[in-house]
Formats: sequence, structure tokens, C-alpha cells
Amino acid sequence: MADEAIRTTNLTKIYKEKSKQPVHALNGLNLSVQRGEIFGLLGRNGAGKTTLLRILTTLIKPTSGSASVMGFDVQAHGAEVRNHICAVLQENALEQFLSVRDNLTTYGRFHSVPPHEREARAQRVLDQFGLTEYKNKKAMDLSGGLKRRLQVAKVFMVDKPIVFLDEATTGMDPINKRAVLESIRAQADGGRTIVLTTHILQEAEDLCDTIALIHEGRIIASGSVATIKALATSVFELSITFESMNEELLAQLKSLSPVRFEQTGNVVELCINSVDGTVLDTIAQLSRISRITHLEINGGTLEDAFVELLGVSREDTSWK
Amino acid sequence: MEMILAVLYREFRIRTTSPVWMFFDLFMPLIYLLMFGVGLDRAMSGGVGQFGGEMSYQSFFLAGVLSMACFGIAINTSYGFFVDRENGIFYEFLTYPMTRGEFLVGKIVFNCLLAVVQSALTLSVGTLVLDIDIRWQYAWFAASGIVVGTAGWFFFLTILALRIHRNDIFNTVLNVAYFVLMFASSMFYPVDSMPAWLRTISLMNPLTWHTDVLRFATIGIGNVETIILEAVAFGVFLLVSFWFAVRTLQHAVIK
Repeated sequence: MADEAIRTTNLTKIYKEKSKQPVHALNGLNLSVQRGEIFGLLGRNGAGKTTLLRILTTLIKPTSGSASVMGFDVQAHGAEVRNHICAVLQENALEQFLSVRDNLTTYGRFHSVPPHEREARAQRVLDQFGLTEYKNKKAMDLSGGLKRRLQVAKVFMVDKPIVFLDEATTGMDPINKRAVLESIRAQADGGRTIVLTTHILQEAEDLCDTIALIHEGRIIASGSVATIKALATSVFELSITFESMNEELLAQLKSLSPVRFEQTGNVVELCINSVDGTVLDTIAQLSRISRITHLEINGGTLEDAFVELLGVSREDTSWK
Repeated sequence: MEMILAVLYREFRIRTTSPVWMFFDLFMPLIYLLMFGVGLDRAMSGGVGQFGGEMSYQSFFLAGVLSMACFGIAINTSYGFFVDRENGIFYEFLTYPMTRGEFLVGKIVFNCLLAVVQSALTLSVGTLVLDIDIRWQYAWFAASGIVVGTAGWFFFLTILALRIHRNDIFNTVLNVAYFVLMFASSMFYPVDSMPAWLRTISLMNPLTWHTDVLRFATIGIGNVETIILEAVAFGVFLLVSFWFAVRTLQHAVIK
């Protein structure tokens, strides 16, 4: 398809090591990313997200199946694929011995930014990411957050149509994170395709046009945030203030098997699975035990939807 | 070509951030020649006999110092893979718009230039201070030997650096290999003076081929037919190493 930036078909990756059981990192994964969208890859540790990014960035080869980026097969035309992408990987990938400015200009040089534009772009990016005061510092002398900021800043030096961001905002303070997320959104609005992984579901909910949930090397759900939430329609977030708490009420609440349960005084916040329509009956039952003075009902968050889709307990959700 | 120049520029920028690195890169072989070469020259007052003639030990050792310098630069450059891997930049590099071959060639071009400058310094001081009779008219041949030698060893060591993921194991392997390669070669003493078993090993050692070619290029010692054979053998060693290094970069780079 002309509007497709990335496509994978039955993509499989099996890691084989001597004297160890083979690890099936990807199990026939099918994916389609449209041009100009922000695509979020979500899943738990070991779900296969990083393996997928490594294949799409030509770092490793799939065991079987195919993957193409901007129409170029990642195995047959790796150099062409690399001509269309830039990537922020999980590590703090920086030239530690070079200054902040040199990190940017060197990156620009590798991505064929014309010599007369490099300095101007570097200055623009330094300003955009609040790095101007550190421009002459060596990368090795920066704090962890600044290193991460510089790493993300590098991709703003170049105009490649596809950007891969592997947990790009990890380690950033909230203010910088907001600035980076706004910059990413602006890049997508300008037509670049952004593929990101994050373990911060709120970030994905705020930023992504499309989300795919990977579990055991397969995509188990994908679509817009609203679509994903709709896939888990029985999830409800309740905040209930009771006139008083008692043992019978607590027992009744526990019998609902809430996915999440928090109690502060007479206020109970819980997330329950309930077939649409019966949630009000449940509340009515509770009100017979103790009068309800305040009630809020919301559809579940993205996190609730994923907990529901994966069928795991919230304590067990080590998203990545 | 653009990518090779970009990698070359990157190597240059990193290397010039430290004056200490530059000092070691440029002057270490010279210091080695001045201290070790002169010291042994005094100890071996009769000089070194080869091809029916006598020469000072420092003259003989000059080519050994040059090949050692090439090997040293190749070690430092290949060790750079560990540094890049630790910094995470190595994997990012592999997503840049260049081929694996361009990446390797770019890395070594700067270091070959460095090796040539280093050798020019060593040869100049050898002539001016130690009175070594150098064949300057064959400087192009010596320079070619320096470039090919540095590249050959770099590609060979790249295979090890990429396959061995722990730098302590890499260092151990390298120390043992270097020890064997150095002392089973014509770097410190003529192959003809060795016992038969060591001579056999030496004649199969690429470090012997490289040192012999450099010795012929700089002071004119050696049999022409043998030198041509050794030069061709080293060329094959370089090409095979390059092919394996590129293949290693293409496969299983991430553990």
C-alpha cells in the first residue's frame, strides 16, 4: 500500500544458543504502520518489542517471514531501509568523548545533512531541547537525563521519514518529557512516521495515533486508543465514598475480584470487570450495606484495558 | 565515499580529544626504537647477520618497530568496538545509512593515516639520530606496507572483537596471540637464526610477512622473490580478514 510505512508479515524470530532452549521472540507477527502516524508498541518485558525494532532497523535478521520499511525489504535492501530511518535505541547511544554540539553535527554528517546546514540545525536543536548551555560539554560529563535528552535530540537533526524511539523519555524529568513529547507530535504532524515503545501507558495514550499490544511475540490487539479500550468494554473504574465502612462491605467489595483496589478511609477506588449494565446493580448492592455519599464511574484507562486483554494482575504488569 | 569520510572524521574527532592518545599514537614506536633498539644494539656489539652481511641491531629492528606500530594501532582501533558497545553507539551506528564495509573501511582509513605519520616520524629520527641507512626512494613502498599492514591486522582483530563480547577475554586472547605472533616472527631476530620448529611457525606468520616487506622497503634487506610472495600472502590475509569481518558485522552482532 502506498500509504504504508512499515509492514511485517508472519514475522518470526527464534534465538538459538548452544545448550539452551530456543527462545521464540516473535511468533508470526503481522503489523502495518501508516505514514505520518505515531505508532506505539506496548507490551511486557520480553514481549518482543525490542526484537521487532531491531529487525526493522536492520540490526538483526528474522528467522522467517518478511518485513519492509518504506517498501524496502529489511533483508534484501538493508542499506535502502537505513536511508529512510533514524533510531533512538535503549542504550545511551552517544559519542561520549565528543561535545554535545559535536554529537549533533557528527550525527548530521552521518545522515547526509549538507555541511552548510549542520551548524544552524545543531543550534536550533540545542535551543529546542534546552541544551545550549551544555553545548561545549563532553557527553560523558552530562547527567543521565541530559544524556537521554541529547540522544533524542539527535533525531531532530535529520529529516528521515521514519523514526524509531525505544523508550525515548526514560530518565527525563516531567518538564523535559513534555517538551520532547510535544516535539514528537510536531514531527508526526509534519509527516514523519514515529514508532515508539514505552512502558508509560499514559504517555502512549496521550501521544499515539495507533497502539499495538505485543504479547509473546504476537500482536494481540491493535488500533486507536479508543479501539483498544473498546476491546475491554467490561472494565470500569469506580470511586465510591461510603458513609461508613464495615466488614460486610469490605467482604462484598473483595468478592467482586477487583483488578485494582485502594481504600483511603471511607473512600474506595477500584477497577472491576463487569458486563455492561450490571455495574449499576453491583453499586446498588453495595449501597444497601452502606450509604453511598459520592460516586464516580469511568470507563477503564488504557492500562486497565491492557490488564484485561493480557489477563494478568495489575501488580504483575511490568510494562516495557 | 561520503560515509567513509564521515566515519574517518568521527575517528579523527575522537582521537584528537586527548593529547595523551595522540602522544602514544605518534611517538611510542619511536621511543621503543630509541630505548629497546639502541640498548640491544649495544649489547649485541657484533650486530645482526643476515643475507651474508652485518648490520646494526637498530637497523634490523626498525622494520620490527614499524610492524609493531601497525599492530598496536590495529589493536587500539579494534578495541574501540568494546568502547562503542559499552556506550551503546555501536548498535546505533549499524542503523546509519552505510554498508558494513564502509563502516570498517572508514574506521581504518584514519588509523592508516596515523600509522603513516607515526612511521614517517620513526624513520626520520632513525635516519637523523641513529644513522640508519634508509632507502627513501622506496618510501612509497614502505607507506603502502604500513597502510596494508595496519588494515590487515585491524580487519583480523575486528573478527575477534566482534565475536568476543567480553573485553577481559578479548584482552587475554590478544595478549597470548600477540606474544606468540611477536616472538615467532622476524620482528626481533632473523628467522634464519631460529630453531627449525620456530622457523616453520615464523614463516607461516603474517607478522613475519609484514615485517619482512617493511624491512625490504626501508633498508633493502631481503630476497626479492620471497618478499613478493610474502606481500601477496599478506594481501590475501587482508582480503580474507576483511570478508570475515564484514560477515561478522552482518550476523549476530547483538547478544
